[in-house]
Amino acid sequence: MSTPGTSQPASIPPMLEMRGVTKRFPGVLANDRVDFDVRPGEVHTLLGENGAGKSTLMKILFGLYQPDEGDLRLNGVPIRIESPTDAIGHQIGMIHQHFMLVPTLTVAENVALGLKSGRGPLTDLQAVSARIEEISSSYGLAVDPSVAIWKLSVGERQRVEIIKALYRDAQLLVLDEPTAVLTPQEVDDLFVILRQMSSAGRGLIFISHKLHEVMALSDRITVLRNGRVAGHTTPQETSRQELAQMMVGRAVKLAPDKPSVEPGADRLSISGLTVFNDSGSAAVTNLDLTVRSGEIVGIAGVSGNGQRELAESIIGMRHPSSGSIIVDGVEVAGSEPAESRGAGLAYVPEERMKDGAVGEFTVGENLVLVEHGSDRFSGRGLLRFGAIREHCRKLVDDYRVKTPSIETPTQSLSGGNIQKIILARELATKPTVLIAAQPTRGVDIGAAEYIHEQLVEQRSAGMATLLISEDLDEVFGLADRIAVMFEGSIMAILDTEAATREQVGLLMAGVESDPAPAAGVALDR
Amino acid sequence: MGSFFTSAVLVATIASGLRLAIPYLLAGLGETVGQRSGVLNLGVDGVMQLSAFFAYWTVLETGSLWLGVGAGLAVGTVMGLVYGVITVTLGATQGISGIGIFLFGLGFSDLIFRRRVGTPKPIKQLPEVEVPLLSDIPWVGEALFRQTLFGYLAFASVPVVALMLKHTTFGMNIRAVGENPQAADSLGISVGRTRYLAILIGNVMAGLAGTALVLELGIFQQNLTQGLGFIAVALVYFGAWRAPGVMVGALLYGLVNATVLQWKAQGIIPREASDLASMAPAVLTILALVVLAGRVSPPAALTRPFSRH
Amino acid sequence: MNITKGALLRLLALLAVFGLVAAACGGSSDAADDTAVDDTAADDGAEDTAAEDTAVDDTAADDTATDDEAAAEDDAAMEEDEAMADAGPIKMAIVAPSAQDDLAFTQSMIDSIAASDAEIELSISDGLFVVEDAAAAIRGYAEDGQEVIIVHGTQFGASLIEIAPDFPETTFVWGTASDTQGLDNVFAYYPTAEEGGYVNGVMAAMLSSSGTIGVVGPVEAGDAVAYINGFVEGAEATSDVTVAVTYTGSFSDVALAAEAAQAHLTNGVDILTGTSQSVVGAVGVATENDVPWFGTQANQTPLSPGLVVASQVYHWEFVLDEILALRASGVLGGEIFEINLANGGLVIEFNDGYALPDDVRAAGEAAIAAIADGSIDPVG
Repeated sequence: MSTPGTSQPASIPPMLEMRGVTKRFPGVLANDRVDFDVRPGEVHTLLGENGAGKSTLMKILFGLYQPDEGDLRLNGVPIRIESPTDAIGHQIGMIHQHFMLVPTLTVAENVALGLKSGRGPLTDLQAVSARIEEISSSYGLAVDPSVAIWKLSVGERQRVEIIKALYRDAQLLVLDEPTAVLTPQEVDDLFVILRQMSSAGRGLIFISHKLHEVMALSDRITVLRNGRVAGHTTPQETSRQELAQMMVGRAVKLAPDKPSVEPGADRLSISGLTVFNDSGSAAVTNLDLTVRSGEIVGIAGVSGNGQRELAESIIGMRHPSSGSIIVDGVEVAGSEPAESRGAGLAYVPEERMKDGAVGEFTVGENLVLVEHGSDRFSGRGLLRFGAIREHCRKLVDDYRVKTPSIETPTQSLSGGNIQKIILARELATKPTVLIAAQPTRGVDIGAAEYIHEQLVEQRSAGMATLLISEDLDEVFGLADRIAVMFEGSIMAILDTEAATREQVGLLMAGVESDPAPAAGVALDR
Repeated sequence: MGSFFTSAVLVATIASGLRLAIPYLLAGLGETVGQRSGVLNLGVDGVMQLSAFFAYWTVLETGSLWLGVGAGLAVGTVMGLVYGVITVTLGATQGISGIGIFLFGLGFSDLIFRRRVGTPKPIKQLPEVEVPLLSDIPWVGEALFRQTLFGYLAFASVPVVALMLKHTTFGMNIRAVGENPQAADSLGISVGRTRYLAILIGNVMAGLAGTALVLELGIFQQNLTQGLGFIAVALVYFGAWRAPGVMVGALLYGLVNATVLQWKAQGIIPREASDLASMAPAVLTILALVVLAGRVSPPAALTRPFSRH
Repeated sequence: MNITKGALLRLLALLAVFGLVAAACGGSSDAADDTAVDDTAADDGAEDTAAEDTAVDDTAADDTATDDEAAAEDDAAMEEDEAMADAGPIKMAIVAPSAQDDLAFTQSMIDSIAASDAEIELSISDGLFVVEDAAAAIRGYAEDGQEVIIVHGTQFGASLIEIAPDFPETTFVWGTASDTQGLDNVFAYYPTAEEGGYVNGVMAAMLSSSGTIGVVGPVEAGDAVAYINGFVEGAEATSDVTVAVTYTGSFSDVALAAEAAQAHLTNGVDILTGTSQSVVGAVGVATENDVPWFGTQANQTPLSPGLVVASQVYHWEFVLDEILALRASGVLGGEIFEINLANGGLVIEFNDGYALPDDVRAAGEAAIAAIADGSIDPVG
């Protein structure tokens, strides 16, 4: 991890001031008198849950929205930003969470887009390339200007985004969740570059919800909650715990208390598993893995390394080409989902609105989606509505689902509440093995906390859990053992107690385990 | 009855193939520019019919070929603006809007033709322009350098369009807007303006294609294009959204048609196989599309209207 | 913003509707003017001018009117049918695939109706090259109580078989066809186009100095193939010439027909002929290369006043008169008519603008006479 930069003296006048910014949308107050400023040479983090108003504020800064009230000043001068072109003209740059790159164009072409060429109507790619090489070498952003974007890795694409901003000499740079798709080592590399940029006098706005990154990188932190500023602070004055509390508005537990549980018999045994993806190439290759009763095994890895195919083949949504999957003594490889569930499996899928719940169905209908055919809820082909209602009310209460009623259409609930419904439904079947894929992604901290508690509780009750997550905090907080997945294979299985983030990060990048991982190993993919 | 492989026949067949290829090439190149910006225009055929009619009518009334060409260009420009309003400003679905333009062009050209002209009357045709010296080269000169102005224009447009797309800022903007309009927008490129211009280029070239067709034939008739504009759209896919590829497609189409006609004239194709042979160009195009399918992907934002929110 | 957008969208919808109407009806808005025969001059440019500016609204309005009134008129028309048979003008409609002034197939029938002695109230739906559209028009006319409906296109036969039995009081006249599909209310008509073909062939063979003649045909079917076979027969019977025949595969592809003519010229052809509305392009090529042209279906002299030698013209008046007479006597269909040189249905019209040598013209006229009296069989 990079060391936090030294805080700038408050006497330096801010380069950007946003004062009393208010933005209303029908029925929503997205920003309510928000004050925010950035000084040259600092990293100012904007922290908040989904819907707290971070992106609205940044869209106002970038000219995509106009504020209803409040004003913007750049270097003390009031300005009005009407469009992205205006923002770029004011040397404001933005690195979007979803890269704004044209895949079929080369690096140089992407950088040159929207800029005046030195050769009139003709492009000036040689000059652009030369300048890119300069920027690359001074910031250590190695990239070939003549390569098409689609050939680049995610990390390289992000470098191109940064080069684009530097090429335009952006003095104020917004980074919208820039670490979401990076391995921990790539994050470290990125932070080094960001530090370098800020020390050259640029102002950086860092948007993230990963608390340890925020603590590591920020000079100052502004927390937004429900469109309002919940507080301004610095890493020196605060803690992850306190930041989470500011985001949610009440005390939250970041990692659940895990009672020690002695693992029991093997519940899920996978051996020699090979699975193909939709385009016909091997996504999982010859994989072996065992999960025992009373144990949570975490699968760590950058998304797209075969996790989805692994989960789908276990539950029966995708048939493996070879290998064995034994659930509680029963072979389920190649079974249909109904048979796998019969063997004791339950599944919290990655795409909750696609594979997990039917958006148009009511809360109640989604809660009994798996069990509606059982004798408990139907007799002679008819649903027993009384029994169903009673069951649903109990689940909604037990799992603290915030819904007006069990008749409410599921799609109108928040992500966290939908996830609670899915978890409630899956755990209600009393499974012996649970596959939980990204159970808290996009879920608010309060709901995540509750979901984590439930998983730990079920572990105490003897359930075997396979937790697939890209969030290393989650994996380290919940798992007893961590299996690191890279390009369809398990690189290593580590005891959580003994594992370090650096070690896991290297394995996620495909670097073979080293007995004593040296700190600061440079990664060059 | 001569053999096919005599120089005179080969030269004439190639010349005929080039003549047939011209409208496909002009319309296909224009559609390439439009599609690279992310806008599909299935109305090419309708624009061609309208411009063909107005060019014809103008020449009929004024006797001036140049005024006719101007009329064809004007129709292309107007239809380009109309299509821009529909697909860019209003963000309407492109597929069905294009079909609407086609039906409008087909119906309106026919309606005015009957009301104002009635019986097909011949007009002046475009003269062939011989390139000095080059046209005197035996065989090659006769086949390649004795064309109408539109012939030279169409073939000269191939490198112009290719270079424009590859090496100009405007061309780069077109490609960016067709692949990832959000990215282009975030860099201050006006997606709307870029697409309007690309659509205008496409429609003006479709207008030229219709004008070239009618001034080559010297007469207008209901549904003059016979779906030629749709073939031109198919040739854009055939040519993998690249100007040289579209030219290969147009030439293939024209030359196969010319060869089939030549073989029919010489009796090489028996009468019984005549209908089958007529389908040859279409069958070849379909085969090529099947073979090429999936090898090159269309512009990622093709048919997708752009809006910021 | 929203208001403007809405208004624009409505404008657009209107435009689209207009486009569809224009496409569907083409110039058939003329049909709305139920023109009395005397007025149906082939060249109607002048009198239509006044209506032009409002043409669009007219078309749309007429269309809706037709739909709305159709049901109401339906019963009334059926009842009136009997009574009207004897009194007043005959209500006649024509459904045709190409334009009424195409200088070819469709125009031949329109001109004949105009030339007929009978008093006819005519409605026209032309340019219906889509068979489904034509079928809708045929049914619409039948429902409107038209007494005689001319279904002018071989390709409409299948639709006719479905529609005709539903309207037993209506007379359907279908051509070119040589059978009535066994229906009592269908008359069929066809030209023995090979006769004029033969005459043209005789003259073409005499005019050719290269000994090679080119024919641009559409699809090998109907009167096109009859004309072309007769032409080849006549030419080959006259001298030792070669007749090269190309079928382009389309009745309407003007550009293809032009290139087909061009291909013939490459092979040393010095006389051209052809049939279908697509030949206007081929006539252009003939004009450009100073090659004489023989026409058929209608008088094609206007297309190339100096080079059209002669045209075989279809005169359907004779058929029309027969059909009207039969209908008046209670026969609604079931007969087949042919027009030929002998009954005056086929006429070879010479172009005075072309200096045809006397001996060639004499040979042509001799062939006409010989075919008419049966001493020459044009198909050999």
